[in-house]
Amino acid sequence: MAFFFQELVNGVTTGALYALVALGFSMVYGVLKLLNFAHGDLYMVGAFVGYFVIQWFGGPAALSIPVPVVLLIMFVLAAVLVGLLGVAIERFAYRPLRDAPRIAPLITAIGISFFLENAALLLFGAQYRVYNTSEFISFSSGIQIGSVSIDAVQIMVLAMGLVLMVGLRLLVSRTKLGKQMRAVASDREAAEMLGINVNFTIAATFFLGSALAGVAGVMAGLLFNQVTNTIGFVAGLKAFTAAVVGGIGSVPGAMLGGLLIGIAESFITGYISSTYTNLLIFGLLIAVMLGRPTGLFGRPQLRKV
Amino acid sequence: MKAYGIIAATALGALVLAGCGSSASSNNGVSAAAAKCATSIGMEGPLTGPVATLGQEQLHFAELALATDNAANKTHITLVQGDTQLNPAQATTVTQQFTSNSAIVGVVGPAGSQEVEAVGPLFARVDMAFISGSATNATLTQGKYPTFFRVVSKDSVQGPQDANYIISTFHPKALMIVDDQEAYSTGLVSAMAPIFQQAGIKVDHESVSQKVTDFSSIVAKVTSATTVVVLPWQVASNAQQFGRDLAQQHKNAVIFGTDGLFSPGTFTIAGSYVSSFGPDITGIPADSSIVATATAKYGKFGTFGPPVYAATHVLDEAIASVCKAGHVPTRANVIAAVKATNEPTSILGQPISFTSGGDLNNGKFFLFKIDSTGKYNLIPSS
Amino acid sequence: MSEEALPPTTGPDLTLPVPAIPHQAPAAEAATRQADGTHAGGPQVGADEWVARRAQRREYLPSWLGSVQRATERVGWWPRLAVAGLAGAVLPLFGLGGFQLQVGIDSLTIALLAVGLNIVVGWTGMLDLGYVAFFGFGAYGFALLSSAQLGSHGIHLPSLLSIPIVMIATGILGLLVGLPSRRLIGDYLAIVTLFFGEAFVEFTNNVAPGVLGGPNGIVGIDAVHALGHQITTNAGYYYLLIVLLVVTMAVLRLLDTSRTGRAWRAVREDPLAAASMTIPVDRVKLMAFAFGAAVAGLAGTIFAAQQISVFPTDFDTPILIVIYAALVLGGSGSIAGAATGALVVYVIYDGLLRSPAYSGYMFYGLILLTLLARVRPWRRLGLVLAGTVAFGFLAHAVAQGISHSWVAGAPQSAGFVGTALRDWVIVPANAQTPGKVGFVLLVCLLIALVQLNGTWRTILLVPTLYVASFTWETVLIANPSVTRQLMIGAILIVMMNARPQGLLGTRRVEVPT
Repeated sequence: MAFFFQELVNGVTTGALYALVALGFSMVYGVLKLLNFAHGDLYMVGAFVGYFVIQWFGGPAALSIPVPVVLLIMFVLAAVLVGLLGVAIERFAYRPLRDAPRIAPLITAIGISFFLENAALLLFGAQYRVYNTSEFISFSSGIQIGSVSIDAVQIMVLAMGLVLMVGLRLLVSRTKLGKQMRAVASDREAAEMLGINVNFTIAATFFLGSALAGVAGVMAGLLFNQVTNTIGFVAGLKAFTAAVVGGIGSVPGAMLGGLLIGIAESFITGYISSTYTNLLIFGLLIAVMLGRPTGLFGRPQLRKV
Repeated sequence: MKAYGIIAATALGALVLAGCGSSASSNNGVSAAAAKCATSIGMEGPLTGPVATLGQEQLHFAELALATDNAANKTHITLVQGDTQLNPAQATTVTQQFTSNSAIVGVVGPAGSQEVEAVGPLFARVDMAFISGSATNATLTQGKYPTFFRVVSKDSVQGPQDANYIISTFHPKALMIVDDQEAYSTGLVSAMAPIFQQAGIKVDHESVSQKVTDFSSIVAKVTSATTVVVLPWQVASNAQQFGRDLAQQHKNAVIFGTDGLFSPGTFTIAGSYVSSFGPDITGIPADSSIVATATAKYGKFGTFGPPVYAATHVLDEAIASVCKAGHVPTRANVIAAVKATNEPTSILGQPISFTSGGDLNNGKFFLFKIDSTGKYNLIPSS
Repeated sequence: MSEEALPPTTGPDLTLPVPAIPHQAPAAEAATRQADGTHAGGPQVGADEWVARRAQRREYLPSWLGSVQRATERVGWWPRLAVAGLAGAVLPLFGLGGFQLQVGIDSLTIALLAVGLNIVVGWTGMLDLGYVAFFGFGAYGFALLSSAQLGSHGIHLPSLLSIPIVMIATGILGLLVGLPSRRLIGDYLAIVTLFFGEAFVEFTNNVAPGVLGGPNGIVGIDAVHALGHQITTNAGYYYLLIVLLVVTMAVLRLLDTSRTGRAWRAVREDPLAAASMTIPVDRVKLMAFAFGAAVAGLAGTIFAAQQISVFPTDFDTPILIVIYAALVLGGSGSIAGAATGALVVYVIYDGLLRSPAYSGYMFYGLILLTLLARVRPWRRLGLVLAGTVAFGFLAHAVAQGISHSWVAGAPQSAGFVGTALRDWVIVPANAQTPGKVGFVLLVCLLIALVQLNGTWRTILLVPTLYVASFTWETVLIANPSVTRQLMIGAILIVMMNARPQGLLGTRRVEVPT
């Protein structure tokens, strides 16, 4: 039983991470109907930002300022920088292609993803950068329920993830910006005619989505310690799966999808074997797509002719 | 069409220039070789890609060996790099480049056993020697690749040696062995797992890709009866993360790793064991000058660099001996000299000579234990 | 609801008089067709309007280039294929060694793959991101059938049998993969196929290692042999690939100009309208998948035979992206475009960047070419070039004045380019960090350049060119394998933004749904 709960805790934590990335991905798809393949690489950039912040303040073993302050700076800086990067990408690569055939922005996204990965390789090198979280947030600061141990970092990830998800949900459903986003997602031309600044709304969506990915990247660095230029690709794939399973374009869907994928991964590794984890996740995705293409929460897309 | 024309011209021009590039260097090689023993050797390694740190370390040590030998033997050997990214298809292209460049008379590398299998026939076709400092698959020296040599011992020796050590030292009831889905890893697992099973130990065989950085789910499967976790991995920082996860979930298993984990500074889990095909040359007094130069130039290094140093040194000495005998180095006389290599001592702390299959004679494995300060202490072989 | 008889209509007569339109019999029609497609004697119903508009839509280049274009088109597609094929066959006779032939073989394989991908992406408009899995399936299929892998001695089928069998099997796999496409809209299909591609690599790496070899792959694959002859040399495989590529392009051309090709293009433009016109959309999509997969399977078999071994990592995402870059550059929707794009991309990707010192020629050559093509009038181009040269010398002098170590390094380009740039480009002693800064600066400058217009753009061009050269000489050549990946990514981004139809494709306008 303890094993079950341990795997559950692990699964929910990684699931929260996937959910954050899937959220941003889903939001972008909602407004632009674009699969942003470069989203995973934004997560990678966020992880690097967090690493460099730690190094700037003296490295994991000898931080010159208190840990909570470092964490705050890491998260804020990652969110802002990656958000801006996302806005820049939208502005320069996707905006000119708004009226182009659907395939064009997709291929551009693939190109950007590839370019970002290799730019990171060029700038930061191939060696793994290590956060060494345990040096400034020790293991003993977690909690232990029976033989199930939950790390402080895991608690933080869960808490932050929850706050961000709830916050985003509130933003989308209660604020004016959220209303504009939903309008643009529903029908861009009509929204423009109604006086909504579509460019600004899309830019804001990208900023938020990318910022979420950046924060998720820092969290991943804290949890998994290792940052290299290829972590974005795998995370991106998992985010796609999560977003699609939950229903692409739907905020609660992305959250649920992320949690599901995280938990499924954990349990498959725990109870079957780690060898087949990825294969089974892919199989799960294909099954969901064939059985219910719009995902769990997605609305069937009606096309007007 | 303009587009057609430009493209055709570019493509043609590119091919021709690429051809010029390699043929120009070959012309230089032939004419100057006789005068001052000026020739080239190739170095194939994963200079970029997932195990780039290993490849870069190998490259650095190859360059170091070359510089030292050029100075000592008054030769003018140059190094031509080839990046394989541990990918056999790329290794084939790099090898084609080397074999078509007549200035190159020998090659150091490639690093992976898969790559050796892909390029072995190509080297055999042109009778060019290639010496690997890290390909340990046992099947490579069974005669399929007559021009292949290696300066490290093989999995079929390392696997059983390590397995028996684990059984005799820890007497485990259950253990977990995780491979990283690469040929090196699965080779070792298939050498070790049967020995464990024969001794009646419960073996939990897991598998994760090198790209995975989250091991918490696997670590959760480590039971209290699992005494040892065997990690024959290539990426040391992954193992470090695994160790952290073990500590975080309060598991008491000991990590036993192999060559890839030898990385002072990266893999520092106290109480772990690392079995390596290369010695820790910082502990060999005769290598102190090399250690000093390498540390000054390149920083920390692990066990992948020194064997490549040894391999490069073998090639350099072979070429130097050919020149001393008054001949121009060619692939044929270089490989003959390599086969006749008989160095009484080397950077690896042991003599180097090759069996008929290309294996290192009396290759050893070295076992290290990491203490609480992260230092690797050699366990003397009894 | 019962049908009632409708009351007779009363009201104004809304029928319009139909003008008499001249209509000629087909033979006579062909006789009156002029060079640009219209007919002498005025427009004909249907035929001329469409033909004329299509002719005008093709963007002919101005002056003599346009006449060359029109002449090439008048020559016809088949003679052009024959000329290209002959040119390719004759190339090795210029003394290409084993390495160049290997590059040629790899480029031809990518060309074959691009031509196959063109069927799915270019003609039918379905984004298939798992295409490389078909390539792998073909390779593994051939490996299993023609090596010592299966059974005690293995099956060593003669290639004349194993290659068609593998092609058909891959085609069937393509059909199976295409089945979900019936229900999925474009983006979803992209994800599913992407996962299929990933699943293939995972599968061959982890499942059934005894049969598929696991990460060790399958080695010792037979060479292609038929009728008593074996192909073992690079030259042999090169010629085989030329023949196969030409044959494939011919077959695909026949398909393209047939009803099937038109059906594919109709489905790409508007599936709903195509369905209304009684085109069996699902069947058409499945056929596209099957054909594309079969071509990839063919490429896979030759790859396996030539490499003598197959490994799971041979079929991972980077190769997929190279194929896409090839297709995008050459022009999706055009067979010749796919093949040409593949040759250009791969030759630059592999052949040139393996000799990084000489790739400076290509880099600077491309920059000059782009400037020549885009910067008009000539006066402005001259100003830009002169300005860049002057700026360079000035910057170099200033840097040298500040500190000698700033210019202590040497440009990494070899040959004529290197010597020419010696005193022009700043290359510090420790070039890595400044080079990286230069890279970031270059990306920012390029983005700014795209946003500006007119005089500001011309002015900004000068420092951009200098920083580009600086970055190239410091970091980009020093890391050729990363640089070429960057180039592939850049090709995708730039082509889609600047010229989505690629070099040889035709522009598409998508009707927004």
